[in-house]
Amino acid sequence: MMTLKNRVLALLNIFHTIKDENLHWRTANQDQQAQLKHRRVLAEKTLEAELKRKSVQLTHEITLLRTKNETELAMFKTRCKQDIKDYKQYLAALDQLKRSIQASYTHLPEAVAFTIHHHAKHLLNQMWEAEDFEQKMHHEIQLINFMTTVHEDARLHLDGASTEKLPERTLSLIQRK
Amino acid sequence: MPLKTPFAILIVRIALLLLLAAFAVLTSADLLLWLAIPGLPGLMTQLGLATLLSAFALLLITGLLLISKLIVTACLDYFSTRQRLQRRLLFSQAKQEQFKQLFYFKKLQINYFNEVKRKRLLMTNNRQQLQALSHAIDKDLLMIKPQLSKTTYLQLQQENTRYRNQQDIEALLTLQQKIATLV
Repeated sequence: MMTLKNRVLALLNIFHTIKDENLHWRTANQDQQAQLKHRRVLAEKTLEAELKRKSVQLTHEITLLRTKNETELAMFKTRCKQDIKDYKQYLAALDQLKRSIQASYTHLPEAVAFTIHHHAKHLLNQMWEAEDFEQKMHHEIQLINFMTTVHEDARLHLDGASTEKLPERTLSLIQRK
Repeated sequence: MPLKTPFAILIVRIALLLLLAAFAVLTSADLLLWLAIPGLPGLMTQLGLATLLSAFALLLITGLLLISKLIVTACLDYFSTRQRLQRRLLFSQAKQEQFKQLFYFKKLQINYFNEVKRKRLLMTNNRQQLQALSHAIDKDLLMIKPQLSKTTYLQLQQENTRYRNQQDIEALLTLQQKIATLV
């Protein structure tokens, strides 16, 4: 009976010692713990402030992006419309070219006029579909050269400077391709 | 860690001790039964069962408490200012990304419709020109009609119509050349 009591007492003693140690440790490290807690709260606050700042900034950026996109899209749309208008004008100019050459060479077969017109249209499309600026310029120069040659042929024939039945220079230009 | 580890260990230890005690009590009940002592074994068995049950109940209740605490902390964390701000930031970022994508696709769309418009203009022009060529061929055919047999004339005329409908430039040009050589 005594040994059992002793054992229970020893156990209780151990329990108390552990509690004491725990208390000692707590008092010794109270400052540090408080400091840690304080720091943690501070860090949390800083993070929150940072997040808030970022959020506001992002909202601002979004508004900017929106207006920028809208203006850019509007500009792009107008440019596209202008492009279409230009293309229409080019087509009209090519039609005019055909009429002028037909007016000069009264006996010009329709097939030849058609071929000239078709070739000009081909050059125009090549120019339009070119990916980079340099190629575009190259095709544009080709087209302008061709149109000039056709007009020149028409003018020379109308003035009576050439007696050929066909616009030879234009046709040779087509054949060279 | 929502529950302190020593506390959990303590609970598990208590539960295990209760289990062991229950087994001990049940074994002693068995022993008493073997010794044929009346009355006591039934009581002991009930005590053993109660201990066993309490051990399991303790584990169960601790588990439930643990889970509910976890849920509460998760909820609190979800609705904390930091998390809310973070979510808002993420939302804004997604929105920004969405605007960028929308811009790209709108541009693509405009480009596409522009191209379609241009192609339509080109097609109209092509058709007009083909019509003119076909008319010219018709005229040529009419001019040389007296020199041709009726079937040849009809056949050529049909070819002209067919090529015009098919918008076949090459074929129309060859046809024209053919007619020119016939004269």
